[in-house]
Amino acid sequence: MTSHFFLMALFSGFVSVVFAALMRDEPRDQLRFGAMLFAAFVGSGVVLSWLMYPFPL
Amino acid sequence: MGKASKRPRARPAAPATDSGQAWLVCLAAWVVPGAGHLWLGRVRQGVIFLVTLPLMFAIGFWLEGRIFPFEPSEPLVALASLADLGIGAVYLVARATGLGAGNVVATTYEYGNSFLIVAGLLNALVVIDAYDIALGRK
Repeated sequence: MTSHFFLMALFSGFVSVVFAALMRDEPRDQLRFGAMLFAAFVGSGVVLSWLMYPFPL
Repeated sequence: MGKASKRPRARPAAPATDSGQAWLVCLAAWVVPGAGHLWLGRVRQGVIFLVTLPLMFAIGFWLEGRIFPFEPSEPLVALASLADLGIGAVYLVARATGLGAGNVVATTYEYGNSFLIVAGLLNALVVIDAYDIALGRK
């Protein structure tokens, strides 16, 4: 259970579910918004991680 | 202005409650994540919060994260402690039973801290949302 990607995806999933439930009323809107948030979290995480490869902190 | 904001609200706002009852709703929402929404009849949202937030907190323990003590001399630790406190009764039970000691050498330690802290912060947002609903603002 030390896969960084899995833990990032799990974290993103939880946060996306809560934000979608908070910010949208209808299930269809919640699903769409939650999926968009999840994709944004995971996508930005992958992009930032690759940027850290040539530019380590 | 976004497309969603032009759309009429799918559900009429709940009748405004008095300020005292709104604070009780907040207290319930803080103690048990989702309880405020359940109280106000938002069952689906309440169940989502009731399941996801304690589960997220529990995963934080599983990943060997730490429940931070409140230490005003260390501002970041104190802030993390306040964030942890946001989850409500689960935090108090964890402190009372000695859970959340953390294992700083574990690979997943920082992940665990992130899960614990963010679960508390998300519940703080849920409490604010319940307050707005109780006052008929949503």
